[in-house]
Amino acid sequence: MDIDILSDAFFAALAAIGFSSISRLPLRAYPYCAAIAALGHSLRYLLMMRPVPGFHIFWASLVASFLIGLIAVMISSRTRTPAEAYFFPALLPMIPGMYAYRAFGALAVCVLNDNPDTFGYYFYQAASNGFVCMAVLIAMVTGATLPIFIFKKISFQATR
Amino acid sequence: MKTAEQPDHTTTDHRTTMVRDLLTDYAGWLLGCGATCIRLEKNLKRIAAAYGQDVEITISPHHVHIYIVDRNDRTVFTSIATAKGATSFDTITRLSTLSWRIADTGIDIRRARRMFDIIVNDRPRHTWVVPPLVALANASFCRLFGGDIQAMAVVFMATLAGYNLKMWLTSMRADLRLTFLLCSFASAVIGASSYLFNLGDTPQIAIGTSILYLVPGVPFLNSFSDMLHRFYICSFGRLMDATVLTACLSIGLCAGMIVMGVGMF
Repeated sequence: MDIDILSDAFFAALAAIGFSSISRLPLRAYPYCAAIAALGHSLRYLLMMRPVPGFHIFWASLVASFLIGLIAVMISSRTRTPAEAYFFPALLPMIPGMYAYRAFGALAVCVLNDNPDTFGYYFYQAASNGFVCMAVLIAMVTGATLPIFIFKKISFQATR
Repeated sequence: MKTAEQPDHTTTDHRTTMVRDLLTDYAGWLLGCGATCIRLEKNLKRIAAAYGQDVEITISPHHVHIYIVDRNDRTVFTSIATAKGATSFDTITRLSTLSWRIADTGIDIRRARRMFDIIVNDRPRHTWVVPPLVALANASFCRLFGGDIQAMAVVFMATLAGYNLKMWLTSMRADLRLTFLLCSFASAVIGASSYLFNLGDTPQIAIGTSILYLVPGVPFLNSFSDMLHRFYICSFGRLMDATVLTACLSIGLCAGMIVMGVGMF
């Protein structure tokens, strides 16, 4: 279990660094971003472990992204970098890409299929995966943005 | 001919024009670099106030409509800024720092303009390192979704090829939607090789993950952030943009899987 968590943290950090390079993060922000992503992703992994605590991906993402947002706001004023520069790349490994992939895939099967039973099954798949994907995205952004609302002064004066 | 008693309207007008130009260009660059609407609004108001102007803005996904009101003579000036540049948190950070320097130290408009030009004309260095980093990130994604080492290797190659194709198509100024479609098709075809050649035990994860580097994460996150701050028009526009791109990459993925004879689920 411990190795699984460490491995999860390590690969989340790698993913955050790689995807940060697409959005041209300031160089000084990379180590912090990797650390925040590792912490957030491994917390979500821990919360979703079965049977205990066994959180649903929605609640686990909300709690983990709140932690990501909180650390991002705290670090931002020290490094004079906007909080979103930290938490956006750190959130990227948590984006439910597989849910989006399954939703669009099922939608494609629906379009190419005229059997009512098959259509019904894949329509359910598309709706179910699509809703979870949207709900997790909202949870992630809400969780990460809440600390910005709470510590508004710190957040918007970080680059001062 | 000017006399000594006449106020120097030319200088004042020129300064006001420079402030308006700076505000317009600043808004366009901040929007193009992927700043959230709340940051765009706060930064613009901060700069405008420092130069004795009030500003109101309407933000759409690709343009900012700016209404600048002079605090002294109440003259109104409107302009439309077009989004410039590509997603860059480095530029957002430096532009935000510039807005605070203008507000706190009241630097001259000419100097502020020079500093702005330096920031936006600073070309990204070490771009060669981005494709391998993105490929490594996507391979890590594959591991996070339960893929084995063979699947990770296939995803690394599929991403490297797809991302290089994306950079080439972008340099050729190809349509973004067509770029996403072609890149996801190429990555899916390479990703499907794990299924065709029985590489490892998780070929399905390799195929599904091979295109995830294309998921427009920043527009999705920006869209929801704008929604929370009640910028509904821009939020909806950004969401639609991201959804259309996701649909394009899904079509490319489906086409790649059909060509390679791999089942969807």
